[in-house]
Formats: sequence, C-alpha cells, structure tokens
Amino acid sequence: MMKSQQVSPAHLWDRLAEAKSRLAPVQSKYRVLFEDPTQPDAPAAVLVPDPNWMAAALEGNILPPIDTYLRDRDVPDGQPKEHPYAEPIGAMTEEEAIEYLIQKDIPPQVWRDYQGNRSVLKIVPVELIPSDRSFRNAWKINQTEMEMAA
Amino acid sequence: MSTLSVSNITDGTDTVETGYVVNGSAKAWVNFFGGAPVSIRESLNTSSITDVANGIYRANFSSGMTSANYAALLGSGSMVYDQGTLQDVSTSAYVGIKVQDGYVSTFIDASIVTAGIFGDLA
Repeated sequence: MMKSQQVSPAHLWDRLAEAKSRLAPVQSKYRVLFEDPTQPDAPAAVLVPDPNWMAAALEGNILPPIDTYLRDRDVPDGQPKEHPYAEPIGAMTEEEAIEYLIQKDIPPQVWRDYQGNRSVLKIVPVELIPSDRSFRNAWKINQTEMEMAA
Repeated sequence: MSTLSVSNITDGTDTVETGYVVNGSAKAWVNFFGGAPVSIRESLNTSSITDVANGIYRANFSSGMTSANYAALLGSGSMVYDQGTLQDVSTSAYVGIKVQDGYVSTFIDASIVTAGIFGDLA
C-alpha cells in the first residue's frame, strides 16, 4: 500500500512574493476607523488595507487561518510561530477580508474585549474619511449614525 | 511552486553564497502616501497601514518577523525641507513610523513615506 506523504506548504513570505508577481493589486473601497479604549486621549486611527494583500485574500490559497495569527501573539520573540507554515485558507470576499484584517492588525481590546457604550470600531467607505487633515489629531468616531464617519 | 536548492550562485566570474542573498534581501517594504487619504502605492509582505495621527503610521506585516530586532530603513519626502523619519514602537508584527518636522519638532504628514525591513522572518 502506498503511503501519502504530507507536504508542508511553502513559507507565507514565498507565497506572498509569488502572488505579487501574478496578481493585480486590488484597492479596497473600505477603511476601518478605530479608537483604542486603553488610550482615551489618542485620536481615532484608520486602517488602510494593502492592495497586494487584498489581491491575495480574494485569490485564496495564500493567507493562513486568522487563528494562527491570534495564537502567535502569545509566542515569545525568537520562538517558532505557527502562521508562516499553516495550511492556507480559501478565497474570501472583500468584506470577509476586512474582518480578517481587523482581527489581525487591530488590538483585541478594540474588537474583542471592549464592553463600553461608545462605538470604537467602524468599517466605512473610503469616501467618508475626511479629506481635511488640519485637525487629524482630534479625530474621533462620531457616535450617531447620520453623522460623518470621523 | 518549484524550489531551486543551491549553496552558491555564480555569473561565471564571481560566486556568492545563497545565504548572503536570502539574509540580505528586504523581508518587507512599503511606499505609501501619508496624506489625505493615506494610500499604499506599492509593497511586499505588508497587510495594511495604520494611520495613527498626523505623521504617525504603522506598517503591519503579513508574514511576521522572528522578533522586533530587525533593521528598519525609513524615509519620507514632503514640502518640508528639514524633516526626519524616525522608528516608533515596533514589534515582530509591525514597524512604527514617525515623520517629524526638524524645525518645530511636530509630526507632519508626508506625501511619500517608505520603509524597508531587513532581518529574520518567523
């Protein structure tokens, strides 16, 4: 009887470099506004998805499961991490990719642990990001639905 | 994907160990517009940019580094003549970037912000 051999996937960096040479970048139409509850005096931050990363997310079979990144947060520096060699996941929609990115690149105290009444995270179309940055360091997320995003 | 496994690379005259090529190449890089709105022009191994405040950004890696002990080569360009680009608090998952006006020591948006990361991948 033949035994099938388990082949581990290529390193994530190699998969990303290969994908960059093959896929056209995709500019997301979304941005993620967030406020860190542990820094109440800090202005709202804006997460901007990378076009090459978004192309890889939409293509599928390149990025690892989000759980691997979350577990790797607890791995001390210098120790082996799980996400580079994890089996890649399938294609995502743009909305799913944004949710993935929130968990990966925004601190958990914003999207998981916060239990207050303020809206500290909003996914908005890029058009709603103010074009005037004169008062950038005072940006806060507006708390009423009908107001502008920031 | 095919893998070529060799110890040295040569052009017929000069020979270099592949270890120099692997260890010496940038593991992540990004070039982005730091104004309104922040947008990424080109990159490798970057999942997103966090626009933290005026002149303060964070470049998040797709494939993380083994530790925060990497070399970050940072640069910026804008209409301000005397400006500096500084490394902010960084981890194995992101590099913090600050662009500072050299005259009045405030952080300023820059039309071109670049980062190149050299070190070991996780």
